Amino acid sequence: MTPLLRTNGISVKFGGLVAVNAVDIAIPEGVIHGVIGPNGAGKTTFFNAITGLAGLSTGSIDFAGDNITRQPPFQRARLGMRRTFQSVQLIPQFTVLENVLIGLHDHIRANPLRSLLSISGRDPAEEEAQQRVVETLRFLGIESTLFKRPVELSFAQQRFVEIARALVARPKLLMLDEPAAGLSPSEVQGLNALLRRLRAESDLTVILVEHVLSLVFDVSDRITVFDNGRVIAEGAPADVEADPKVKAAYLGDGHA
Amino acid sequence: MRAATVHKWFAPALLLVLLVTPLLTDRYIQYVLNLVIIYVIIGIGLNLLLGYAGQFAFAHAALMGIGAYTAALLVYRLHVSFWIALPAAGIVATIIGSLGALPALRMKRVYLALVTLAFAELIQWVMIHWKWLTYGTDGVKLKAPEFFGFSMHGDHRTFYLLLLIAVLLYIFAKRIVESRIGRALVAIRENEIVAQCNGISVARTKGLVFALSAFYAGIGGALFAVTLGFIVPESFGMFQLVIHFSIVVIGGLISMYGSVLGALLLTTLPELLRGFQSLQEIIFGVLLMVFILVMPAGLAGLGKRKGWLPQEILSRNWRALRDRQAAAARDAASRESR
Repeated sequence: MTPLLRTNGISVKFGGLVAVNAVDIAIPEGVIHGVIGPNGAGKTTFFNAITGLAGLSTGSIDFAGDNITRQPPFQRARLGMRRTFQSVQLIPQFTVLENVLIGLHDHIRANPLRSLLSISGRDPAEEEAQQRVVETLRFLGIESTLFKRPVELSFAQQRFVEIARALVARPKLLMLDEPAAGLSPSEVQGLNALLRRLRAESDLTVILVEHVLSLVFDVSDRITVFDNGRVIAEGAPADVEADPKVKAAYLGDGHA
Repeated sequence: MRAATVHKWFAPALLLVLLVTPLLTDRYIQYVLNLVIIYVIIGIGLNLLLGYAGQFAFAHAALMGIGAYTAALLVYRLHVSFWIALPAAGIVATIIGSLGALPALRMKRVYLALVTLAFAELIQWVMIHWKWLTYGTDGVKLKAPEFFGFSMHGDHRTFYLLLLIAVLLYIFAKRIVESRIGRALVAIRENEIVAQCNGISVARTKGLVFALSAFYAGIGGALFAVTLGFIVPESFGMFQLVIHFSIVVIGGLISMYGSVLGALLLTTLPELLRGFQSLQEIIFGVLLMVFILVMPAGLAGLGKRKGWLPQEILSRNWRALRDRQAAAARDAASRESR
């Protein structure tokens, strides 16, 4: 079976710095794939390369059977690739409803003229989208935040709203960039439970970049380890944990 | 409950009042009221671009001039009916205004402001110097439009035409901003990366908002030409632009109410200050600066914070959703307590 996402020797350069160096990764459908590595290892740049925010200097990317290397970020999003950000990126003057509706932008497919000229002022496509937002928030346990603005929410709730924005479009691939950063241990537990439910109840594929290693090792089916822009290890969590190269990267060369 | 009732009846009540005002106004007050309505249209157009989409474009007065000149010249020189000249003014402004999206795709803020400002100056230069077409500083006269042989002469009669067009354009803009397009505009203003990663085409959305905004300026310009009956290039220069910016900034960015409040205040204010012509521009400038520094959300922002104005959430019929959610929450609570 062809993987949902495959990177073929991708590199991203910033001037002389090679942030991502000849990375080959294949991620099959329906798995949770963890990505770990020390700070500056190239994890977020890897995300940006996949979503199209960072240009490749070499290599190519296949997603859901298409070569998306030359596609701009919004086209990749429309193909079913959604992400969150390391620092939460919500729109401050928007309510949670509006913030999450952003995720449905290309799903609201009403006839624009009918919607604009409707005498009753109702817009069925918009109502359906609102309903999907409510359902997604309910799934995440934050339905009561619907009409709140980001400043009125706890940090964990903001993180979950951003996940809702990514999930509401029912993407094929969900990319989470350090979703546990800044969460309390019990909130990390909640995130852990959410990821398990997603895997159990849908065929969603998740890439999880995370520094909270207990979470990654607990929920991931496979883990890739980055160091200095290169993949230094990949495999099942237990194998990765035992790999001396991984220990060296995290603890320093002296321990290898 | 009470607030919801007020909200439901406010618009029809206001409309009713407006429909009878021509019976109560003298010619001068009616003229000012007509200008207010024209500036509501122009303000809405600029708010879409500068407010919602956050694009620092300075060509709005020039586009208003293009609309005014298109309508006036079609009627005066080619004897085209005003009913064709009016949409034509909107379309010509839209086409020229859409060109503004091209620099906007490459540059931001100050650079876009400079390029559009230069463009506006160029348009005014053409209006002044292309005398063969525009009669230069001599200006163009525009007689009152006729409606099936019934002359719409005088401000009391044109008022109804202006009101009808303004109400339609208000509803149209409100529906645009309460749709995925309005949310995409604000998303682009706030965070282009988030917009792109959620499937929003920044290029297409910017192109759309430049076109829409120019259409409003063009229609507003054509109606301005009818109301004044006579236009000259100087009407569409820097001071006109300052009026537009003041309307949107003082009224309130990213707010439909803001465009209305701003138009009302900034059209009546100069009329009250008629005796102090030189003071006008200073007062506008000072007001603009004070609002930007102290009250960036404008009068509409203040009104919403104080609860005098309803919230504006960019999703059609969001109140119905809020009421459904509140009812569901009450149900759940009462089941729990039992």
